[in-house]
Amino acid sequence: MREYAFFLGCIAPNRYPGCESAAIRTSRKLGIELLPLEGASCCPAPGAFGSIDLKIWYAMAARNLVLAEKMKKDIALLCNGCYKSIWDVNHKLKHNDELRDGVNEVLKEIDMEFKGTIDVWHLIELYYDPKIVGVDKVRDSVVHPLTRTRIGVHYGCHLVKPKKEHHFGDSENPMWIEELVGALGAEPIQYRKKMQCCGAGGGVRGYDIAHSLDITNEKMINLHEAKADAVTEVCPFCQLQFDRGQIEIKEKFGKYWGLPVLHYSELLGLAQGMSPAELGLDLHAVDCTPFLKKIL
Amino acid sequence: MAKAKGYSDPKMEEKLRDRYYYRTDSNPEFSKRIRDISQTVSHMCYQCGTCTGSCPSAPRSSYRIRLFMRRNVMGLEDEALTDPDLWLCTTCYSCTDRCPRDIAPTDVIMAMRNLAAERDIIPVNFLKTVQAIYTTGHGVPNNDVNRAARQRLGLEREPPTVHKYKQYLPGIQKILDHYGLKARADKIVAEAEKHA
Ligand code: SF4
Ligand code: SF4
Repeated sequence: MREYAFFLGCIAPNRYPGCESAAIRTSRKLGIELLPLEGASCCPAPGAFGSIDLKIWYAMAARNLVLAEKMKKDIALLCNGCYKSIWDVNHKLKHNDELRDGVNEVLKEIDMEFKGTIDVWHLIELYYDPKIVGVDKVRDSVVHPLTRTRIGVHYGCHLVKPKKEHHFGDSENPMWIEELVGALGAEPIQYRKKMQCCGAGGGVRGYDIAHSLDITNEKMINLHEAKADAVTEVCPFCQLQFDRGQIEIKEKFGKYWGLPVLHYSELLGLAQGMSPAELGLDLHAVDCTPFLKKIL
Repeated sequence: MAKAKGYSDPKMEEKLRDRYYYRTDSNPEFSKRIRDISQTVSHMCYQCGTCTGSCPSAPRSSYRIRLFMRRNVMGLEDEALTDPDLWLCTTCYSCTDRCPRDIAPTDVIMAMRNLAAERDIIPVNFLKTVQAIYTTGHGVPNNDVNRAARQRLGLEREPPTVHKYKQYLPGIQKILDHYGLKARADKIVAEAEKHA
């Protein structure tokens, strides 16, 4: 078992707790033990905090990193927004002494110091990495293949982009999460503007909800056109925007898409034999039943 | 043979020098600060428009990232910082991955927002996130419906974050107070609500 400090963020534990339990249970079957990161806070939200003052964003994210440093564990997480804050700030502070000194000045007030001793990973990259888990091992863990389902992958923005700073290669048409979806027995489909944002980021969801939902609606049009049975993502904030967003789109624009939205951890849970109730799929705003009927 | 830039007539030179780059309301310091904060070569923009062509916000609003890049080069501080479109960037980084000059327009927007925030121009929803984190440690805090759901799933009612370990909250508050952010957020939100 490889052990990681599990950084939860906000939306998974507080809105989609099924993602949290699914991540813990499915990862265990893949040789990854996710340990609680006691006292962690919001990452903090990169759009809100970064926009107000990058220095505060660094300091708040650094506090979360120090908690894991004290555990002597790398961080694993399941949200692209958290990845943006926790991975980026860890990277920046490790490579910029001036920045680190500034942050440590502030952290001193709460008896903490950023040392730069750990790394940060998104669970999905651990699943894909053959040195840690790898696609084959994911496939081997499947007891209930999701055959006959067409699944669109939404990568989200803050994992693969910006490609120069992150390490996931091509950000125009990456295919590696499709491999992980294929490993579950599902058919990963291609759709127009796959890499377009969900519409929620940068504080836009709160600033101008109609604008933000219009971006989401475009994703829905394109997924619908490609006859997707569901969309999967690796970010609970994208999930919230797609899932609750479809209800809001219905209220605001009068169109209901009814496209089930599942975090990859939830898909993996289904494929490993967890029940929809164990995954808390009833907490989703969009009914997952049409998708579940295809596989159960 | 390449011609040297500029005009041989000193009067003409004086008159036309940098006419494309400066207006009376230009502030070159603004461009410098943007470059410092964003850590990107923001002055290198040659206005190709690839960024706006990549932008999910462009087709559904008057927001044009290329315009903000120009305002940066020209030092049009007030124009950039007071434009409500500044807050329509989703920070998707598509422009950053495609800019042929290797600029990160997204980071330029973030830097401009930081400078707008110095003038207390910050949308209320951003500050409400700050207030939530100050009181609970989370931008999106737990609630009773979710607590019941967690229990059903075999999770603890409070996640093992600062929600459960409340002794960590004062540390979070101390960081925010160091920057006086909570007090500023309260003030700006109260004023906005008064006008609403
Ligand atoms: S893509 Fe780059 S060079 Fe082209 S207009 Fe945008 S910022 Fe300027
Ligand atoms: S990062 Fe902002 S400006 Fe750039 S393409 Fe995305 S929404 Fe547009």
